Amino acid sequence: MKNFTYYQPTSLHGVLKVLDEAGGKAEILAGGTDLLDRMKEYVAQPEKVISLVGFSGPFKEISAIAGHPPTVTIGAGVKLVNIAESELLRPYPALTTAAAQIAGPQIRNMGTLGGSLCQRNRCWYFRDEHVQCLLKGGRRCFAHDGENQYHAIFTQGHPCVIVHPSTLAPPLMVLGATCEIRSHKGQRQIPIEQLFQAPVKDGQREHTLAPNELLVSVTVAPKIPPGAIFRNASYEVKQKETSDWPIVQASVAYYTEAKRHVAQGVRIALGHVAPTPLLSPGAAKVLEGQEVNEKTASAAAEAAVEGARPLSQNAYKVQQLKVAVRRAILLASGAKPYWEG
Amino acid sequence: MAEGWPKKRRLLGTKIRRIDGPDKSTGRAKYSYDINRPGMLYGAILRCPHAHAKITRLDTAAAKKVPGFKALAIVLPPKDWVVVKADETGKTLELKSVPSKKQADKAEKRTVTVGPGVTILRGNKPVTLADLKADDVVQVEVEQDVIGRELFYAGDEILAVAADTEEHAKDALRAIQIEYQVLEHVVDPAEVLAKPGLRTTPLPNLSPGKEFTKGDPAAGFKAAEAVVEASYGVGVISHQCLETHGLVAEWDADGGLTVWASTQATVATAAALAGRFGVPPGKVKCITHYMGGGFGSKFGPDVQGFLAADLARRTGKAVKIMLDREEEVIAAGNRPSAYGKVKIGGKKDGTITAYVIDCYGTPGYTGGNTVNLNFLPYVYQDAIENFTRLHTVAFTNAGGARAMRAPGHPQNCILTEFAIDDLAAKLEIDPVIIRRKNLPPNNPKANKIEWAGRRNDIYNEQIDIALKLSGWKEKWHPPGKGKSGVIKHGIGMALHTWGGNAAGGTTPNECFVFIAKDGSVTAESSTQDLGTAQRTVTAIVVAEILGLEPTDIIVKIGESTFGFSTGSGGSTTCPTQAPAALLAAQQARNDLFRKVAPKVGADPKDLAIEVGKVVDTKTKKEWSWKEFCAKLGMDEAQGKGEWNLAISNEPGNENISSGQVGGVQTAEVLVDTETGLIRLQHIVAVQDCGLVVNKLACESQVAGGVIMGINYALFEENIIDKTTGRQVNADMEFYKLGGLKDMPKITVHMQDMPERGVIGIGEPPTISTAAAIGNAVFNALGVRVPILPLTPKRVLDALAKGGL
Repeated sequence: MKNFTYYQPTSLHGVLKVLDEAGGKAEILAGGTDLLDRMKEYVAQPEKVISLVGFSGPFKEISAIAGHPPTVTIGAGVKLVNIAESELLRPYPALTTAAAQIAGPQIRNMGTLGGSLCQRNRCWYFRDEHVQCLLKGGRRCFAHDGENQYHAIFTQGHPCVIVHPSTLAPPLMVLGATCEIRSHKGQRQIPIEQLFQAPVKDGQREHTLAPNELLVSVTVAPKIPPGAIFRNASYEVKQKETSDWPIVQASVAYYTEAKRHVAQGVRIALGHVAPTPLLSPGAAKVLEGQEVNEKTASAAAEAAVEGARPLSQNAYKVQQLKVAVRRAILLASGAKPYWEG
Repeated sequence: MAEGWPKKRRLLGTKIRRIDGPDKSTGRAKYSYDINRPGMLYGAILRCPHAHAKITRLDTAAAKKVPGFKALAIVLPPKDWVVVKADETGKTLELKSVPSKKQADKAEKRTVTVGPGVTILRGNKPVTLADLKADDVVQVEVEQDVIGRELFYAGDEILAVAADTEEHAKDALRAIQIEYQVLEHVVDPAEVLAKPGLRTTPLPNLSPGKEFTKGDPAAGFKAAEAVVEASYGVGVISHQCLETHGLVAEWDADGGLTVWASTQATVATAAALAGRFGVPPGKVKCITHYMGGGFGSKFGPDVQGFLAADLARRTGKAVKIMLDREEEVIAAGNRPSAYGKVKIGGKKDGTITAYVIDCYGTPGYTGGNTVNLNFLPYVYQDAIENFTRLHTVAFTNAGGARAMRAPGHPQNCILTEFAIDDLAAKLEIDPVIIRRKNLPPNNPKANKIEWAGRRNDIYNEQIDIALKLSGWKEKWHPPGKGKSGVIKHGIGMALHTWGGNAAGGTTPNECFVFIAKDGSVTAESSTQDLGTAQRTVTAIVVAEILGLEPTDIIVKIGESTFGFSTGSGGSTTCPTQAPAALLAAQQARNDLFRKVAPKVGADPKDLAIEVGKVVDTKTKKEWSWKEFCAKLGMDEAQGKGEWNLAISNEPGNENISSGQVGGVQTAEVLVDTETGLIRLQHIVAVQDCGLVVNKLACESQVAGGVIMGINYALFEENIIDKTTGRQVNADMEFYKLGGLKDMPKITVHMQDMPERGVIGIGEPPTISTAAAIGNAVFNALGVRVPILPLTPKRVLDALAKGGL
């Protein structure tokens, strides 16, 4: 990798200060599972690397899971394994099961929430130093007519057809999460949907943070009326059960009255199918006010893939996405998984 | 006549743990990667980023200024020249080619201006003009000679640098200024077939095969009750050795070379280096105490081996070059693809009346001989009366193929066994009927002990065992006619065959056994253990003969100076080395008896070994092993064993080692018809292998083969982008390899046939797994997924397309 200056500030304040001074020429190092790879491949060549490790233990602002369900705040530095195993997050299997399925134990023990949300995409053209794609100042997206079996199926209006790689984003979106973002100059909160953008050129990221900003924490706070039962689930299609990326992913959340299984406040999000994680209001609307069963789940699934424009090699992902949405809804409802043979 | 294997076997055929298991699992075992020499430098290789290009400019000046830079060597091997005149002031060197008898009158002349980018070597040491005098033989490397060199794939090696750290070596590489003329490339073999005139590879891209016909296929199809026409195929995969290719090379003061190489051929690697650098073979030593997998891709020093040794001679330091994962995938060999159009006809009684195939595969830019689609129809060809095969090699701009665990066989198996199940479906019969009906017949002229004389019986017995262990009778159903629902169940079968004889070649493999006066026993051989437990095999055999335990034997293997041995290819190592160890141990025992008998007043003929002791069968006197060996005094007992195919074929030796095996595997799968995902349930592998030396290692070997076959069926594929000509998945992220959770229950059944002697089984158990899985998926869906690996995309595409 290219030489760089390494900073290991002793406080979050220190991190933000160095980040501010770096003027966009720094990368944040948390678990390193993405950044170190990109640096070794010369896809990232930052002048400065700022560590979040701290000198005397992790910064408390980013390293805790705290709160009282339904409101729980997760520090951006929390490891994936700790999300998967959190007691406080137990009401949110959409999130914990997603965290538990990411890659393998080595990655889950190093990777963080902030890393999952702010990592760069896995497009194999983008990751190849020798390919000048749109995101690296080139003039074309090689995936459009190339090897695109794992790329986006919602492609309309997207010159670059990466899929957003975060498996935690869709569950957080359906759980109504907000992000706390800080910089040396201040702080702001945004709904998690606003954290993501579809990059189209060099210098743009898959997130909307300014170069001097840091994602500090994410707070889940689903709106649940008193007495209602909150239900949520995620479903992924992965070719391998060990260390693999989802081909498609769906997360679902809704609440019901105690007696009737009619879905209300439905939120459905789709992962690994577009340059950003996608909320699907269309699918949510179809399920809203409906009793949840295979039929209504299938109708919502059909609505979820509306507008999909698959590429030359990935029409199969449209089919898989439908299945993932249907199965996520049924899992959330507590129905016996019909697909387990 | 040789004494042969003991009739009563105490250790042979039992389950014995690897004697080096603790060393490997604790990290005490040192692999080539772990070798670090004093002052060692790190090498790194510059590779062509384009799939096909010519070098137009090279400037290495900036690279040589990178901190820690030590040396640079281009891939083109420097030639030997004779010095005509070395002009120190004018910096010129006049050379003429080394005279050869044939072309004495055509001496080539060259004048080189010495400066940066020119290296002169004499006796493998860098020299200056001042060191030279007329008639010296030197090697002269001129970096600018690379201009105009054609490169044939994205990854083709150009030059290497050595630096004090790995990071500095990479920095130096990146400081090299190089320009290319980018040429037309082809990475899709189908495109080669479509454009027969292409020339983007060293040989013409299209290399048409010879058609071979037996009998009268047209008449065969006329006689058929059903005929199926279909296309099947499987992509290119990489060896993906866990330990990448590479080595550490170090020259000593006397001009000798030692390499610690990850190789499956210590002797051949040393010999190749000796030849390349003009060193007597006795002064080159290749050490491979442990290595992390080769699968047919590690038979020599390779480009990185020559470069490391070259950089080491220039710098006078040890140089390490181990490939990184990307280099391992693109540049260290592959298994060629195979695609075929098949027409098969048959009858309800199972007879295959005709089989015709037109097929092709790509080995990349070189390695056409590994395409090996010439065993078709596989396994059954002696029984099938009418067939035609035509196979074509399509060279493409990708890394070159190398032998890979049963070269050609898995592909031949797929192209045959898929057709059999599709034919059975059309005939509405259980495909096992076809398999049994077309098994190769026993050769009545052959010895009944040998494969040829009993192969039909062995296969039938193996099918019986496989049917029973897999629950075939209860589980098989006509294709697509299993339980209804989203998840479909299926079961499939495939057969394979392999050689596994002792190694050929004129020089036999050697093994030496030494018994010391303290009773310690050392077994020595240059052979290598490429993961097959060869070290343990040697220990077991020697311990069996000397009445000791395997852990008592000091086994020294993996050094080219320990006598002669051949590379571990073709599953020949165990059937060569086990007999060599047997003979060496028996000879050492006899030598021990001969030397000690007079001292204990016994006749050597009356002495015998029992567990831990030597007994006089006549006087019933006995001595503990140590007590007896102590009587060697200043002496030592020695034995040498030699074995190869020729010795194995001598009359009377057929019980010591032989060859040819068969195997039957079944696969049971669940297929999710909504997502296209396949979940394996159970694989049964029935394998014959002659005399089992170590049942535990044998079973592991088979299970490992099955796991490799599973990955071939479901996950692995080199994906190369057509536009850039670059492999997009040269990693372990999108080049998928199954993990523990992806593996099913694997039931291994070894057929112990001690009367056939030792036969190698490194390769056979990986052959039929993929075909069996493909057939199980067909059985589940009633629809053929014709191309492997069986990705969810291909499964869903096949389901969308519908039936046959």
